[in-house]
Amino acid sequence: MRLAPLLCLAVAAVVLALPAAAQGPRVEPPAGSMFGPPFGPTVGPTVDPSVPPSVPGRVETPELIVDFSVPRVSITSAFQGASILLFGMFDPPGEIVVVVAGPPARETVLRKQRFLGLWLNTGRQSFDDVPAYYYIAASAPLQRLLARSAGGEILSLEDRLASVRSVGQRDHDELIKFRVGLVEVKRREELYPAAIGQVTIQAGRLFRVELPFPSRLPEGVYEVRTYLLREGKIVAAVSRPLPVGKVGFSAQLAGWATNEGPLYGLGAIVMALLVGWLGGAIMRRV
Amino acid sequence: VEIYLPIAEQSMNVFVLLGLGGAAGLLAGMFGVGGGFLATPLLIFVGIPPAVAVASQANQVVSNSISSLQVQWRRGNVDLRMGLVLLLGGMIGSSAGVSLFTYLKRIGQIDFVIAVLYVVMLSTIGVLMLVESARTYIRRRRNPEAPRGKLHTHYLVHRLPLKLRFYKSKLYISALLPITIGFAIGILSAILGVGGGFVLVPAMIYILGMPTAVVIGTSNFQILFVAANVTFLQAATNGTVDVVLALLLILGGVVGAPIGSRLAAKLPGVVLRGLMSVLILVVAAELLTELLRTPSSFYSLGTREVPP
Repeated sequence: MRLAPLLCLAVAAVVLALPAAAQGPRVEPPAGSMFGPPFGPTVGPTVDPSVPPSVPGRVETPELIVDFSVPRVSITSAFQGASILLFGMFDPPGEIVVVVAGPPARETVLRKQRFLGLWLNTGRQSFDDVPAYYYIAASAPLQRLLARSAGGEILSLEDRLASVRSVGQRDHDELIKFRVGLVEVKRREELYPAAIGQVTIQAGRLFRVELPFPSRLPEGVYEVRTYLLREGKIVAAVSRPLPVGKVGFSAQLAGWATNEGPLYGLGAIVMALLVGWLGGAIMRRV
Repeated sequence: VEIYLPIAEQSMNVFVLLGLGGAAGLLAGMFGVGGGFLATPLLIFVGIPPAVAVASQANQVVSNSISSLQVQWRRGNVDLRMGLVLLLGGMIGSSAGVSLFTYLKRIGQIDFVIAVLYVVMLSTIGVLMLVESARTYIRRRRNPEAPRGKLHTHYLVHRLPLKLRFYKSKLYISALLPITIGFAIGILSAILGVGGGFVLVPAMIYILGMPTAVVIGTSNFQILFVAANVTFLQAATNGTVDVVLALLLILGGVVGAPIGSRLAAKLPGVVLRGLMSVLILVVAAELLTELLRTPSSFYSLGTREVPP
């Protein structure tokens, strides 16, 4: 399981060696085939094809290698949240920004109002394409890094949420209130950490950052994008998937509960009957 | 020690859950009710999603009732005929209740309905029990030799059709009455995740006029099957039964129940009922404050829907 860093380095080495080895007419490697799709289950780093090269012409993209301390976030029976280390190397100079986005889904925001003295949910608003989790880390204050044209590609949480689609028609001001409510709840659940993480740069070209994940973590493939910025411009970007999922006993149970509901229910009843019967019999003897 | 609950999708302290199960078991042993009415609100209070709390609690009730039923059955305290008639209503009620639960969950009102139902049920039962036990207590003190009244009073319900003889309960009443009661308890059971003993037991004593000796055993019998039905339907339709959570509650309950019954043996019935009514009222008051107090956040999230 510790192969991932090595593989990354190997792939990076191949990438670097390619232009030198090719003597004949240079062929640009087609994005998406050799490097794999940005969301695919590839092991190595993938160069984001959506990012245009910063300088026009035949100048190489600066090197940017990224990896995680573990290949996936495993939700085991002992899971209490996780801190995953993201680390990597880049061609100096530059600053690093990391954006982690959980899988998008439809979220429904409920709003409480006082009704006859009681607080109950009276308003609801659904939003599509809401990331389950959103976290940004940077090696320097983000405002300064994004002062120039890098914005548009790297989205702050506010920018990211500005693009979520509301379901149905509603007054603009009301929509904004619900969107604020959405962030409020996600903050409370530690799924949208309020603070920008600190990417530390060592020896001028190595970087690392801890990605914090709370215990109540939605499953799915998280997208981790790492950007190398020079003078406010993105000069390299790497996107890597980080799968989050239950493993072992937890995964088994959750799988049965969703796929074999009736059978799972019968199992639960039998378990309760057995433990209740035996437990009762034993405790009465004691 | 923390454990990850695979269906609730969060980690929780093992001892908190064992303790909750133990408290519910203690009540079960002391008063012959499931204790679910206390455990479910507490589970929700510690952060378990209401849907999971209710469904898993129903699973725990199954285990609780089989433990008590073992004893009651051996002592011959189960009126099987009455139990089956109650169960007929209970099965229909709990099946309807699970559908209602699913609907309320979809429109985002389940938490509110759970809280309101608890407040109404608990405060009514609590007040009734408190008044009754206070009255009995005062009467006994004034005149310890007071003659017992009639076995039960006769009123409208004894004139309904479909009359059945319940030999063990010494009753000749319409089957419609226990069926209706069973139905109502079934709905409660499905929505609140309780066995419903705290409603069923008073209903059997005060409405049906059953002798106290067979009430606990017979209610246990009906609750066992209704809770099993709720567990099955919740698992099959909503997938909200967390067996890890339920197992911890059950283990706590297994230890708590005998302690409760030993305590109960040392206290007179009137005092027990008085204590229980106070406890019920405290839970009701706490839930009511939750409903009345301005919440710390006005917003919450409904079910997350992942696109296919």
